Amino acid sequence: MTQHLTEKDVRGIATYARIGLTDEEVTEMTVDLNSIIESLKPITEYDLEGVEPTFHPIGNLSNVMRGDVEGESFTQEVALENAPKQQDGSFLIPAILGGGDE
Amino acid sequence: MAQAFAELSVAQIQAGLTAKEFSAKEVAESSLARIASADKAVHAFLETTEEAALAAAARVDAAIAAGDIAQAGPLAGVPVAFKDNMNLEGTHTTCSSRMLENYVSPYTATCVSKTIEAGGIPLGKLNMDEFAFGSSTETSAFGRTFNPWDLERVPGGSSGGSSAAVAAGLATLTLGSDTGGSIRQPGSFCGTVAVKPTYGVVSRYGVVAFGSSLDQVGPFARNVQDAALAMNALAGHDPLDCTSQPVTTDFTANLAEGVSGMRIGVVPAFMEAEGLAPEVRAKVEEAVEHLRQMGAEIVEVDLPNAQAAMSAYYVLGPCEAFSNLARFDSVRYGYCEPGCKDLGHQYEASRSAGFGPEARRRIMLGSYLLSAGVYEKYYYPAQQVRTLITQDYVKAYEKVDCIIAPVAPRTAFKFGEIADPTSMYLSDMFTISINIAGNGGMSMPVGLGADSGMPVGVQLISPAFKDENMLRAAAALETVYGAAPVAPAFADGKDGE
Repeated sequence: MTQHLTEKDVRGIATYARIGLTDEEVTEMTVDLNSIIESLKPITEYDLEGVEPTFHPIGNLSNVMRGDVEGESFTQEVALENAPKQQDGSFLIPAILGGGDE
Repeated sequence: MAQAFAELSVAQIQAGLTAKEFSAKEVAESSLARIASADKAVHAFLETTEEAALAAAARVDAAIAAGDIAQAGPLAGVPVAFKDNMNLEGTHTTCSSRMLENYVSPYTATCVSKTIEAGGIPLGKLNMDEFAFGSSTETSAFGRTFNPWDLERVPGGSSGGSSAAVAAGLATLTLGSDTGGSIRQPGSFCGTVAVKPTYGVVSRYGVVAFGSSLDQVGPFARNVQDAALAMNALAGHDPLDCTSQPVTTDFTANLAEGVSGMRIGVVPAFMEAEGLAPEVRAKVEEAVEHLRQMGAEIVEVDLPNAQAAMSAYYVLGPCEAFSNLARFDSVRYGYCEPGCKDLGHQYEASRSAGFGPEARRRIMLGSYLLSAGVYEKYYYPAQQVRTLITQDYVKAYEKVDCIIAPVAPRTAFKFGEIADPTSMYLSDMFTISINIAGNGGMSMPVGLGADSGMPVGVQLISPAFKDENMLRAAAALETVYGAAPVAPAFADGKDGE
């Protein structure tokens, strides 16, 4: 079977997808992804010269804009109800640059 | 609780309510009590919604007291339940994932509100494969669901809880969602009438997205009339989903017409497909013969590009899922790993702990397929293949009104029997091309397979926005096979012993 991805590639994808993987998980994921990608081979073998792509099953869709009128929406409390951490009516996150001190 | 109300059809429930043999409150209370006892064996429900059920029942009873049950809606008093990727305000909507274990819906999905506004009594939320990634409901983070026909077997997936609940007589109607076969395959595995409408018939607003150009919501029932009534309640334009269309079809209108004069297509390549179990093939051939005898004209049609649907789907599905699941950021909602020093680490640790193995695989695959250089090799061709598959169906429907095919290559398998992800993906070989093209498909139960003794469904496939065609053919098959029975171990109020 063709090796489409190395473990190094998989680590890069995981970083991009924001999924932390242990070394063991990287090994397993590399095997799984290579096998899945191999099964996608038929898509690369079609003669698709001149075939237009269909990005959506319903053609002729156009963007829908509503009037710029204030309507009902979540209150701040409701919008924060599911937040794992909040403070002073805002979502609370750790430092975005470097390591914090907490 | 002697009466198992959820084993009744919509018409039977409404006749009983109108004749005041029982009240909607009794239907609600008795159905919840039945879940408490019988669902121990099935594990279809993740949560029951007593308060919402009793509130809905009170509205129905008030309408009956005022002398007009119709005022309470076409599903008045009917026990219903929802796949757990559908928001119902105040309930947990977990998608069977640790990621959303503690998420409480601040709003209600349109398909859910329409069902409740139509008079349905919401009993609870139903188990599924995590984020709908799977064909067996084994990937749920909260335990597997058991097939009511054989508790050693899977109910199918991803809407396994939705199909199992109906098959066990724990709900009269349930809703599921179908991205590649997730309504139809569990419909076949548990022997329920399971409808994936044409993309755009039902609003997707408030349903946690998997593949936004493929996902569609539809009903499970034990007879075609009930499924059509649910379709009537669900269909139509929703300002909150710009892909939903102004469908006003009465899906019950032509159910009694029979199939005389109807042209029904058979796809020889599907019937000869490698991996199709002989018992399934035999059932499809038998159903074709019944349709012929009832006056349908059987026509061979060709879908030459359908074999590319699998690989196109396993490109498009993960790409769309990767994009949709990016919203789980551990900040606004969802699982958050404690003690992380910076935001990047918190994202990675939370998403790693919150998502199960199959969700992680699909996210990783989508991330890879959308990367520069790879996009051109897989994603773009997959969208071109989509054009070819859609054209195949359009051409086929010049010759026929409906197509009949297998739903799944085999009947329900045993737990753990299929462990390899790529083998599991084959469960959807006959259903996927319909999502790719966007037209309607459904599973209609046609009895039990000769070898496994498990339910078999045949797939009826409609042209886009002609979902009434497949329902009409299904209703004709129902005159031969009868309505779908409750699984024997659960019939007449039994608890699966």
